Amino acid sequence: MADFFNPTEEHKQLREMVRSFAEREVAPQAEEHDRAERFNVDLFRRLGSELGLLGVTVPLEFGGSGMDATAAVIVHEELAAADPGFCLAYLAHSMLFVNNLAVNGNDDQRQRILPGACDGTLIGGMCMSEPNAGTDVLAMGTVAREDGDHFVLDGQKMWITNGAISDSELGDVFLVYAKQEERSSRALSLFLVEKGTPGFSLGQKIHNKLGMRASTTAELVFDGVRVPKENLVSAPGGAVKSMMRNLAIERVTLAAMSLGIARRSIEIMNDYARDRAAFGQPLNRFGQIQRHIAESYAEYMAGRAYTYQVASQLSLDAFGNRLDSDGVKLYCSTMGKNVADRAIQVLGGYGYVGEYQVERLWRDAKLLEIGGGTIEAHHKNMTRDLSGLDKLL
Amino acid sequence: MKIVTTVKRVTDPDMKVKIKPDGTGIVTDGVEYRMNYFDEYGVEEAIRLKQEHGGEIVVVSVGADASTKEIRTALAMGADRGILVETDEELDSDAVARVLAEVIKEEAPDIVLMGKQSVDTDRNQAGQMLAAYLGYPQATFAFELKVADGWATVGREVDGGTSTKRVKLPAIVTADLRLNEPRYASLPGIIKAKRKKIDRKTPGDLGVDTANRVNVLQYEAPETRAAGQIVESVDELIEKLRTEAKAL
Repeated sequence: MADFFNPTEEHKQLREMVRSFAEREVAPQAEEHDRAERFNVDLFRRLGSELGLLGVTVPLEFGGSGMDATAAVIVHEELAAADPGFCLAYLAHSMLFVNNLAVNGNDDQRQRILPGACDGTLIGGMCMSEPNAGTDVLAMGTVAREDGDHFVLDGQKMWITNGAISDSELGDVFLVYAKQEERSSRALSLFLVEKGTPGFSLGQKIHNKLGMRASTTAELVFDGVRVPKENLVSAPGGAVKSMMRNLAIERVTLAAMSLGIARRSIEIMNDYARDRAAFGQPLNRFGQIQRHIAESYAEYMAGRAYTYQVASQLSLDAFGNRLDSDGVKLYCSTMGKNVADRAIQVLGGYGYVGEYQVERLWRDAKLLEIGGGTIEAHHKNMTRDLSGLDKLL
Repeated sequence: MKIVTTVKRVTDPDMKVKIKPDGTGIVTDGVEYRMNYFDEYGVEEAIRLKQEHGGEIVVVSVGADASTKEIRTALAMGADRGILVETDEELDSDAVARVLAEVIKEEAPDIVLMGKQSVDTDRNQAGQMLAAYLGYPQATFAFELKVADGWATVGREVDGGTSTKRVKLPAIVTADLRLNEPRYASLPGIIKAKRKKIDRKTPGDLGVDTANRVNVLQYEAPETRAAGQIVESVDELIEKLRTEAKAL
């Protein structure tokens, strides 16, 4: 019963459960929340309270489900096929916050925060990018100054998914990367910052995004935010390693989102090309259309095989998978966008309007070439890693 | 309270069914399978009964080895243990009922919850036949179920409305769609289900001869619907109903 994409019976059951939930509960609300630029908080909490998906990779003792990177890929692939925007909020919470804390936090932090984050009571996110520092992450300007038994954080963070859960309300809890003491330093530290801490506020909820509009994106402001020392995650100045570890699973699950987008796009263009006739024949009898469909499928399956292969080798607490975790995202993000683009082309005028979903999938797909690492960042990282190799095994 | 609930592995009703060229069955290559929808309502009701009254839920399937997947899904939803009566034969409803009757005799539950019919063959017979073989009372097409003091009060959907029936336990109750809203098998449930036990038996172990009494001779697709026509007048409509449709 097991196969390459469902290596155990539990993976298969997980996929079927998520697909069934995604088709019945997630897909029907996608267009409305995209149009309104609104995050469906109630549906999101059900992923935790009802399905146990918010802590997919978290050890059982902290309220999670204790599964592996492949399971995380399955959940993202299936949710993104229904609603990539909603799935992005899931990713920011479950991978960037929850998995990050589960891997890098100490037992006290994990016991205090993870059960609520796994059951959907708390909604979390991760803060790395800043208004003036993205790919060049070590150029960040947020600093944490030690003051007695506290750290004092000053700075701004930008493009934070789940930074707000509505137009005016902050998310509940964040992992924030900051430099210790001085901006010139290359050492980063990681802090847990909770809503309600004085000086921590919502700068703005970002509006008019091209896609991923069913998730919120925000600018967050840290103005003399006093964070108790027990909220320092991993060693002071040692957060670059934590960051690298978590970036690997982030990129593999972002690649999985592109797979979901590609699958849905292929299903839609395939159905349409079978049913719609022109010049007395179904569209799929025409070579130009056949090329769109066949190339899309082959590229999707190639990306899928690469992603599941990398996921199967990815240990959540190790780092050093950068070449291929960047590689799957580099390949799949552009593949997903191209497949959605071909779906629009096959559907013609119908593809250009909301009812047939593919225009939304295309808008959502574009973000994956930018967020979680631009494709240019992947080029840089991969070439650097490859430059140390003489032969590929 | 001990509850037996049954699940059948069926072809996904949302797919397009293709009949084999020789008419001996349907094409099963590349076909997706799932738990019969009506059985999901039975499993859900079993879980709700257990939450209210305590006890144990035993989930039973009669079918090929692959049916363990549907049993596991029921275990992930909250059933306690499973029994697979394994057979690669296509059994008729009567044979299924006789197999189930032997399992029920061994398990001696207080109530048996089944889907009212399976969405593949839609025969709507196994529950009724099972009640007859066991000499149990039956209440079919349940949209509401209450259990107290050794009796079940069952709201039933019947032609033209609803009716209420009281049956003494043990009894067979078959579920209709409005009985409840089945839960999803949660991920923690899926992981717990891995450690739950599934006993395997064969019809032979139970002493049941499963030779079919109802044999399928031929599968045929229904005639494809002819295109509609637009008529100019009522007279023409009546004329066509009389001569072409032969409906008058």
